[in-house]
Amino acid sequence: MNFHKLAAGAAAIVAVLSTTLVAGAETVTVTDVAGREVEVDVPVDRVILGEGRQVYLVAALDPDDPFKRVVGWRDDFKSADPDNYAFYLEKFPQMEELPTFGGFKDGTFDVEQAVSLEPDVVIMNIESRQATEDARYIEKLAAAGVPLVYVDFREHPFTNTEPSMRLFGKLFGEEERAEEFIAWRAAEIRRVTDVIEKANPQRPAVFVERAGGYSDDCCMSFGDDNFGKFVEMAGGTNIAKDIIPGTFGTVNPEQIIASDPDQIIVTGGWWEAYVPGGAWVGVGPGRDQAEALRKLEELTERPAFTGVTAVENGQVHAIWHQFYNSPYQFVAIQQMAKWLHPELFADLDPEATFEELHERFLPVAYKPGHWVSLSDGE
Amino acid sequence: MASERAITATVETAGGRGRYRALVWRRQLILAGLGAALLFSLCVDLALGPARYGLGEVVRALLTPDAVPQQVRVVLWEIRMPVALMAVVVGAALSVAGAQMQTILNNPLASPFTLGISAAASFGAALALAFGVALIPAAIAYVVPVNAFVMAMLAALLIHLLSVKRGVTVETIVLLGIALVFTFNALLALVQFFASAEALAAVVFWTMGSLTKATWPKLAVTTFVLAAVLPVFARRAWALTALRLGEDKAASFGIKVARLRMETLMLVSLLAAIPVAFVGTIGFIGLVGPHIARMIIGEDQRFFLPASALSGALILSASSVASKSLVPGTVFPIGIVTSLIGIPFFISLILSGTRRSW
Repeated sequence: MNFHKLAAGAAAIVAVLSTTLVAGAETVTVTDVAGREVEVDVPVDRVILGEGRQVYLVAALDPDDPFKRVVGWRDDFKSADPDNYAFYLEKFPQMEELPTFGGFKDGTFDVEQAVSLEPDVVIMNIESRQATEDARYIEKLAAAGVPLVYVDFREHPFTNTEPSMRLFGKLFGEEERAEEFIAWRAAEIRRVTDVIEKANPQRPAVFVERAGGYSDDCCMSFGDDNFGKFVEMAGGTNIAKDIIPGTFGTVNPEQIIASDPDQIIVTGGWWEAYVPGGAWVGVGPGRDQAEALRKLEELTERPAFTGVTAVENGQVHAIWHQFYNSPYQFVAIQQMAKWLHPELFADLDPEATFEELHERFLPVAYKPGHWVSLSDGE
Repeated sequence: MASERAITATVETAGGRGRYRALVWRRQLILAGLGAALLFSLCVDLALGPARYGLGEVVRALLTPDAVPQQVRVVLWEIRMPVALMAVVVGAALSVAGAQMQTILNNPLASPFTLGISAAASFGAALALAFGVALIPAAIAYVVPVNAFVMAMLAALLIHLLSVKRGVTVETIVLLGIALVFTFNALLALVQFFASAEALAAVVFWTMGSLTKATWPKLAVTTFVLAAVLPVFARRAWALTALRLGEDKAASFGIKVARLRMETLMLVSLLAAIPVAFVGTIGFIGLVGPHIARMIIGEDQRFFLPASALSGALILSASSVASKSLVPGTVFPIGIVTSLIGIPFFISLILSGTRRSW
């Protein structure tokens, strides 16, 4: 106990000394999405990303070189989003050399490896909180003078996305740019929510199938957050809202027939690395829309979708799954609003919104292909 | 004197025969009762679901499927029916597999789980779910079950190869099985560690077991295996019963113990691997089903075998009903329900038991 105190004290002294030595650095107290107050020297120069897909935001803050601060990251970007990985790799070949951490959703990692990379901060996803605290990583990292903060783009994106973006901005010393992104993003969301609020249209019943066709189990879905919430913001009613207690869950296939949704939205992505030749719908940047449409059509032939209004009327759509785990989800909200209320959002062009996002904030070029709909053919 | 003794003996034989007949009659009654309960549970399973159809509509859909709206027909025949029947067949198969493992290994703890067969199947399935690895080439839709089956059979083969070595006793086989359980669980954890978030969810859901994966072809395969294996066991009922008296006694009756044990182990592996491959790991049926059967009907294989099948089927069918009713609309992993329903019932049977059942 005494030894620990001593060690912590020594570490603190070292931390204070090193702070004073680094010119221009300033110690600030930030609040992360878990409500923890953490002292960090900003701007940070060396960062460990607890999830590779945090790069969706990092790229917007450091478009000249998103990897200039990254000293290590989890290896999920490559397999979860091979399309964007390829685009980034082409422009920033050095990302292939970055040390990676394995580890599943819990985000476990090797503290020794982390410390040896000498990061200024470790940014973890909130899902990993339990595992991180059980393993006492925070204390161990703190003893080495490395602070850890939690961000979240997946569990409760409705409430946590903006604070997470702001936190990144603060850590990177790019607050202005972060605020610009936040303000523009909020305005783009209001283009949907304001119209819905004003028109107060009848809300179609919507079933969101998470990663449809990924396994033969039908039907994974969302509770009242993430895509479940986005659907509500876009003026629909998520049929799984009162069925799934958390953000993620699975509904009984029969429930879909019982609820008889007016619209079905399937999330998809290029999951060849996980399920080769699977029934998933391969939407994503630059992907073949005709092929995605064919697979979406096949999914509607499952028993759970028999005679459902959405299928009868061709109101079945597929959208890029990674919107569920990135600050770009407002584009999905716009596109879903267009599907649910085509007459209200006739002028809205989500394609243009996404293109503007790439032009204004991101280092890679926009490529279409993030969604398809069976109603397109009509 | 002599004739008097003869008369007494005749009376006693007659009395013994009467008692035996009564015993057989009572056991047949128990079997009939189990069968009736199973039928009732199956009907409830078919009648319940989030789409609240009336009883009349359900009966009409079952009897005259062409006369009801397409949706009702699909719900009954494509969604509820495969799941309900799969519960019955898988429950029976796992329970019989556990029963015969306990018999040949002479160990009350033996089951497809304790010998590592289920753990091996989980590992095989996880390989396919997380990395798309196919152990032998198979159609995309069947990579997961084929992988699970291949690993399960490999585990069974390993147990068998080790068990035919000289000087290996049943206790050693059980210990080997436990070693396999830990090995495959570690390998499964390794796969989970490297899996993506999406794949991890699929693996975890799979290892918890779910009947919603049931389809008519899968049901047909499982039923075929069960139907092929059960008569073989039935024909060997006496030999297997004798085995429970002890290896030496069984051998003295002229039973080739080693061969009987080996053949049974292979059949049991098949019986355990197929259901696990199709619906994931469903816990405790293989352990609890046969014990319940033994407690209520005894060791005589002629009754113990069908009773095991029926009690396993009943537990899983009842669990299927409960998993639909607990949280309406969602799919509650049936493996969890099975344990939560089966275990209290099992404990109450153990504690209220007046005679030793093992």
